[in-house]
Amino acid sequence: MERQEIIDGLVEVLRTVRTVDPAKLENVTEETDFLTDMNTPSTELINIAAKVEQKFNVEFEDEDIDELGSKVKDIVDLIIKAKERENS
Amino acid sequence: MGITDTSQIKDNLVGELPENWLIHGPKKRLVSAFHWHKPKVGVVASYTPNENDVEDHFDIFRGVDMIESFAQATVVAAATFLESKKQDMVPEELSKLLIPTFISLGNVFFHSYLEKGQTFVNIGFIKFYKWRQMVCEGRIYRAPKGLDLDAYFKDFDEERLKNYDIGEGFVLIAELFDITGRGIKKEMFEKLQ
Repeated sequence: MERQEIIDGLVEVLRTVRTVDPAKLENVTEETDFLTDMNTPSTELINIAAKVEQKFNVEFEDEDIDELGSKVKDIVDLIIKAKERENS
Repeated sequence: MGITDTSQIKDNLVGELPENWLIHGPKKRLVSAFHWHKPKVGVVASYTPNENDVEDHFDIFRGVDMIESFAQATVVAAATFLESKKQDMVPEELSKLLIPTFISLGNVFFHSYLEKGQTFVNIGFIKFYKWRQMVCEGRIYRAPKGLDLDAYFKDFDEERLKNYDIGEGFVLIAELFDITGRGIKKEMFEKLQ
């Protein structure tokens, strides 16, 4: 799965998150930060992670979430890592 | 003498001593007994406000203390239980690694109040539990005076929990929504400063 494909899927997820302003989803890049660029409350990241798990059919571990950064690329990396973990 | 070996950990918290699961000091522990508990579903636990709890506050148990009692009974105790089972670690050891932390509170509606000596039950329903984060909702009821809560809740079940089906004599005190807590690694907690 290509990184851009993952980003597109992530944007779809973010459209379902009430606290994310749809206007902030117009040109999401790998460097977009959930907290500073999208003003997403940090408490919402767990809710986003749970939706991403379902969307991409992957499973994150406690440590994955502990260490998760707040940029789009961090979640893309994590999705790829989780998929590789499941295939290994 | 706390729990020294995971083999001592039963299938649920009923009959367990709160001090074995709520590791903070006695003055701040607002749960006296667990009466019903289904690990990933919910819990019923009681407390009776004492002299210290109502001091300087019109002999009334404070609303924020009700929220704390509810959170201890549900988010802290229930999540500690699940994490102990998952990591095969006794609560004392777990408390050296993780700090139970409030993340956020949803709506809380108070319908009445509690005085010193008035036993109440926290009835909590687990809505989310993942990555050491738990979200609970539920209610606080004042229990009928002198009721044997262990006997009363012995046959409680998930269906009755979801419908708050607890019968006559219980007085609704508060409704609590999206009470969210998380076990945060100690080293990460210290970075929050």
